[in-house]
Amino acid sequence: MRTGIKRMRAIAPLIVLMLIAPLSGLAYADSETPYKTFTVDGYGRMRETQTAYLPLYTFTRIGGETLNLPADLTVTDDGYLYVADAGNSRIVIGTTEGEFVGTMGEGHLVNPRGVFVADNKHVYVADRDAEAVFEFDENGALLNRYTKPASPLYGDTLSFLPIKVVVNKAGIMFIICESNTNGIVEISPTAGGTFLGYFGTNFAATDLRTIIYRAILTDAQRAKMVGNIPATPTNLAIDEDGLIYTVTRGDGAKTLKRLNIAGTNLFRDGAEWYAGSPTAVAAGNHDNVYVVEQPGFIWEYNNEGATLFVFGASDDGTQRVGLSSMIASITVDSNDCLYILDGDQGRIQVYEPTEFTKLLHNALCLYSKGRYTESKEPLTKILEMNSMFDYANRAMGRAYYQEENYETALRYARLAKDYDGYSDAFWEIRNIWLKKNIVLLIFVIAGLWLAFRLIRFWDRKKNILEKPRAVLGKLREKPLISNILYANYYMRHPIDGSYGIAAEGRGGWAAPSVILGAFMLEYVVFKYLCGFLQKTVAEGSYDFFSDFGGILAAMFALTVCNYLVCTINNGEANIKKIYTYFCYSLMPYILLVPVLFALSHVLAANELFVSLLLRIVIYAWALLLAVIGIKEVNNFTAGETAKTIFLTFFTMLIMALLCFIIYVLWAQVFEFVSSLVGEAVYRLGM
Amino acid sequence: MVCKLMKKYIALGAVLLFVFLLIPPAASAQEREGASSGFEGYTLVAESGDYRLYYCEPRFSILLQNKETGTCLESAVSDEKDDGANNKSWTGYMKSGIVLYAIIGTTNTYQVDMLTCKNNIKTSYTKNGLSAAIEFPEYGFALTVEVALEGGDLIVRVPDSSIKEEKKDNYISTVSLFPFFGYSYLDDKEGYMLIPDGNGALIRLNDKEGKYSTGFSRLIYGKDYGFEQTVAVATSELGKSFNFLVEPNEVIAPVFGLAHTDDRQGYLAVVESGDERCSIEAHPNGAMIAYNRCFAKFLLRDIFTQPLNNSNSGTVQSVEAERTHMDLQLRYRLLSGDDANYSGMAASYRDYLLGNGEVALKDTGYNTRVDFLGTDREEFILGTAAVTMTTVENIREMYGRLRSAGVGHVLTVYKGWQSGGFYSLPISGYRADRHIGGTAALTNLIKEAGAEGYKIYLYDQTLRANSATNATTFNAMKMVNKRTYKYESRDEVYRLFYMLMPAAAGNTLRKFTESYINKGVNTLAIDGMSNQLFSYSSRGGYYTRTDTRNAFVNAVASISEKCNLVLEEPFAYMWKYADAFLDMPLASSGYLYADEDVPFLSMVLKGVIPIYSEYINFKANKTESFLKMVESGIYPSFYLTYENSSKLIYTNSNYLYSTEFASYEKTVSQYDAEFSALAKKTEGAFIRRHEKLENGLVKVSYSNGVKIYVNYSGAALKADGIIVKALSYEAGE
Repeated sequence: MRTGIKRMRAIAPLIVLMLIAPLSGLAYADSETPYKTFTVDGYGRMRETQTAYLPLYTFTRIGGETLNLPADLTVTDDGYLYVADAGNSRIVIGTTEGEFVGTMGEGHLVNPRGVFVADNKHVYVADRDAEAVFEFDENGALLNRYTKPASPLYGDTLSFLPIKVVVNKAGIMFIICESNTNGIVEISPTAGGTFLGYFGTNFAATDLRTIIYRAILTDAQRAKMVGNIPATPTNLAIDEDGLIYTVTRGDGAKTLKRLNIAGTNLFRDGAEWYAGSPTAVAAGNHDNVYVVEQPGFIWEYNNEGATLFVFGASDDGTQRVGLSSMIASITVDSNDCLYILDGDQGRIQVYEPTEFTKLLHNALCLYSKGRYTESKEPLTKILEMNSMFDYANRAMGRAYYQEENYETALRYARLAKDYDGYSDAFWEIRNIWLKKNIVLLIFVIAGLWLAFRLIRFWDRKKNILEKPRAVLGKLREKPLISNILYANYYMRHPIDGSYGIAAEGRGGWAAPSVILGAFMLEYVVFKYLCGFLQKTVAEGSYDFFSDFGGILAAMFALTVCNYLVCTINNGEANIKKIYTYFCYSLMPYILLVPVLFALSHVLAANELFVSLLLRIVIYAWALLLAVIGIKEVNNFTAGETAKTIFLTFFTMLIMALLCFIIYVLWAQVFEFVSSLVGEAVYRLGM
Repeated sequence: MVCKLMKKYIALGAVLLFVFLLIPPAASAQEREGASSGFEGYTLVAESGDYRLYYCEPRFSILLQNKETGTCLESAVSDEKDDGANNKSWTGYMKSGIVLYAIIGTTNTYQVDMLTCKNNIKTSYTKNGLSAAIEFPEYGFALTVEVALEGGDLIVRVPDSSIKEEKKDNYISTVSLFPFFGYSYLDDKEGYMLIPDGNGALIRLNDKEGKYSTGFSRLIYGKDYGFEQTVAVATSELGKSFNFLVEPNEVIAPVFGLAHTDDRQGYLAVVESGDERCSIEAHPNGAMIAYNRCFAKFLLRDIFTQPLNNSNSGTVQSVEAERTHMDLQLRYRLLSGDDANYSGMAASYRDYLLGNGEVALKDTGYNTRVDFLGTDREEFILGTAAVTMTTVENIREMYGRLRSAGVGHVLTVYKGWQSGGFYSLPISGYRADRHIGGTAALTNLIKEAGAEGYKIYLYDQTLRANSATNATTFNAMKMVNKRTYKYESRDEVYRLFYMLMPAAAGNTLRKFTESYINKGVNTLAIDGMSNQLFSYSSRGGYYTRTDTRNAFVNAVASISEKCNLVLEEPFAYMWKYADAFLDMPLASSGYLYADEDVPFLSMVLKGVIPIYSEYINFKANKTESFLKMVESGIYPSFYLTYENSSKLIYTNSNYLYSTEFASYEKTVSQYDAEFSALAKKTEGAFIRRHEKLENGLVKVSYSNGVKIYVNYSGAALKADGIIVKALSYEAGE
């Protein structure tokens, strides 16, 4: 199971590089909390930030009552905690300060796994071992007992093992049942419990392998395969608007879902970062949502499913307030205090939001309601406290955009890596610029055209350009220059150009190398300095070494492998010629990438198809040149060419494999020597 | 004549003999039994002005009685107080005045005590105590424990020379002296144990109802890097990629305390010798047994893991070849009456430190601490490029702005000033980075600003070495298993750091300071040497934390003669060299079993050395931190940069998420106004008493009569006729 791993973007390598071990004394550990708080920046990277929630206190018992393997808890708006004390088969009611108020459900409950308190104060309990959902009134009197629905739609063979329950304002119950993979069971209270159907069904992940297996295996074999069934949601919560949140273990980016009444997931893209082993979810008071992960992490997401905070940690044995050993449930009270139930230790930890988080919630609220300008005030304070908090930068950018302050919006959007916001602001700025300068622009173009005509006219009359022409002509005759320029000819007339390489010895070593150099230069310039919207690497990160190294290694492998294959296939090219045609094939890239580069600085997001088109042209053209080069210079037939290309790639693969094996062997040798030394150090006590 | 003389001699002899018979010789145990005490099994061995010391030889236990009140502190559980709920091993532990742990082979779980192990004990009595030679023949161990009652102090000492390990493959791992001294059963006594966690914390002696399986157990002066390579223990994928856990605070001072507030009796214990390798233990009831106890556990020898290859797939367990050689000495400062509380403990420790020259009174005048980051590096074309955050000119400008806002005194620790930026380590010479303006400009700034009361201290980490900026292979510290100690970072620019060996670190520091002093400036902030301690191995030799401590103390002492030093979270033995204590924790680590935080260390040092807080611009709760500083007499600290901190995003300093000067300018001058006014009132005074009043108000009384009331609650509170507004404070006479 992959957990907590974001969907990789182009900057994935950067994340991979975030290695092991902490560095003692490097960061400022705030001694008030035993854990750090992280947020996710615009690139989707985890960044440390101010403490979002402080551990307030921990209570190990409610009044004098000890909890035994509690499974769930919920808090009401008027400040009462209801805990499903599974080990003691009861519901324990206490105040949020941990004072004992009463118990409920003794004699009825067997193994209460989930508890929910409706607005009318009715308490709903999902009891797995009693195979029923109980409804008690405020005083603990049993009102209803909902057992397995009789409806054939439920499934005759399915058992009814309710573990979590929530109830909407109409009194309809949404029940998660253990080992029921059809989805959340939806039961209406009418007629002693009417089964309405399944809700928010998860989908089974189908990978390529499963599809292939299904296609080729016999029925008997297929029956033996592990069943590919969707996962049951782990937990659920309901917010004020009746939207239902579910968490499902092992559902990747779709771990957290926000379902409307039709069962549609409103978090379409899924979360960038998600809890790998979620155990519970709670809806916040500001369209936000909390998810807890069993080992001790607490996540807060905004209304778009983007991560605001992750904090918490597993108890390292030091027994500090705020560390958890096995989180079972979470609930949020009206003051945004979090109550986290540690099932293992049978204790409840209370966390309160810090000043920073309170500001954020305020901004969150205003922003989600579209009151952008008002949200600027708390956002400014947040950015004063943490200028790298990208969520605030992004919201700030949007707010300025609404105010038509596009320059500032652009700056914030770029800081926040908000591509859509950036593109919108950029479009506006460009529009304004164009409006202002369109006349001037036309004049400049016209002027240039005129100047060009004038010079040509004079040249024809008085031959004023004779000298430069002569110099250029002389230059052209130099073999190096001539061979470089021949690449241009090759690009436009590849078949004829190939003849030049094969028969006239055009190319050589120097000229193609110059072209390769130019290619590398353009490659890195484009990679690091192109427009923000087209950038595939994080701003400020440079890795020229592997850029150059990669290109050179690829070119070397291509040339050598192609040479090996060509020689045994009676190809006529020698290694110099092969090198030449591969380098010459890069010519479209060299000529057209500057255009692409310029475009990247003037196009907004919705016009990027132009540059995509250009890219396709460049790559297709370069590929074509290489293929024609192989065919013509070696004097191959079409069939032979195809075979050669295939074999070349195969050889490259073998070569890579060989390098890998040699590397592994060397590592073994190194390891052996170092073990020997280690042993010697130990034995001889040096 | 002769006869007469003979008679005289005989008479004299007879008188002498008579006298000799009358006066008991310096006590045999038998006779002591006669002077029985009313405490079963105990005999009186010494007496001072206020206390009587009793001794029970078979269990090597002592009992201290307050003459005036008759209340006692006992060092082993008596039979009548035995709750009978414990196994043989625990019973042996509880009823023994000394408990050793033995290593046999490579296992260190053998408990050696007076009850479960065969032992020979020979006690001789001195004029104010006793000296007991104890042998454990089964293990071949022997040691002598000396106990002396000197005025108001009880001193317990094991001379290093008396410790013997005479059986092959049997080693002493730890020695706990009087592990139950002042114990109590469940909630029998009112009071608390003081633990040196963070600024200080209390474990109340109430019934913990078995909630906690362990108590406080931390090595004094932090963990030993020579034994532990910091490795993230990941419990989940997320935990593997990121380190969420914050390490608990290190133990800065070698003390712990106990107060029985109902008996008005207690002590503050100071580990006087052997503190470099000793842990403070304080366990509340419920941690295995139903007794509260606190003690010092000396570590003589440890087990370590010797890897045999690079992947660490093959390892063997080894025992240290040589044990630590040091006297083990504990001093219990006995407290009674009004002093038997944490305020009394703080005062007692302060008197002790001042009396022994462990601290000297320094100028505690107020400064607002505003630190700056000069420059760091980010990756750029095959190398790195400077990211300059605060230049010398920037500082001049910011100082000007602060001065015009009325800020009178500033203390600045300038970080990342050195050539190559913050992580160009170690610093071996005075060369400022050209991006901040160069050496000459920096020197001028320090001199000019200093003349106007704005002191700039250059920051030196002293122990850390960056593998990417400096060639350090030969100076890198090797752990006891002869593997080089590595710090690994997951940041993008620099990923691997080493620790310098003490000698190399000392030389580097000396070289730097010489070139620094040559320019006529001498203000320095030292980190690393002030707050880290490790064992290490070098060229076949093995060096203990004592060696390291001596090396660090020598280095710091020699430069402190020529320089003004401020020290980063210094350990107790460095305090005397510090003109200021930087980064004092405001709170404790928040252990579940600790019931409340008390500003113990600030109470000890307030009025002795100026104390500065951790950086408050990273605090999420500003008001609370502010009040904490007011309460504990700590001065505020900021870590700022001229540029916006988002520039740091691709550097190793990317954890600095909020440092822009412009955002904090106002806060700095506000804090300066508040704290300088407050500091004027308490200048030169010690904290006499710190108490939490019934209504939740905190009252701090100073020796000059000033009282400060701090209100953390959301409603106004009243005490002594003074009304304190919500989340605010008041100062009164």
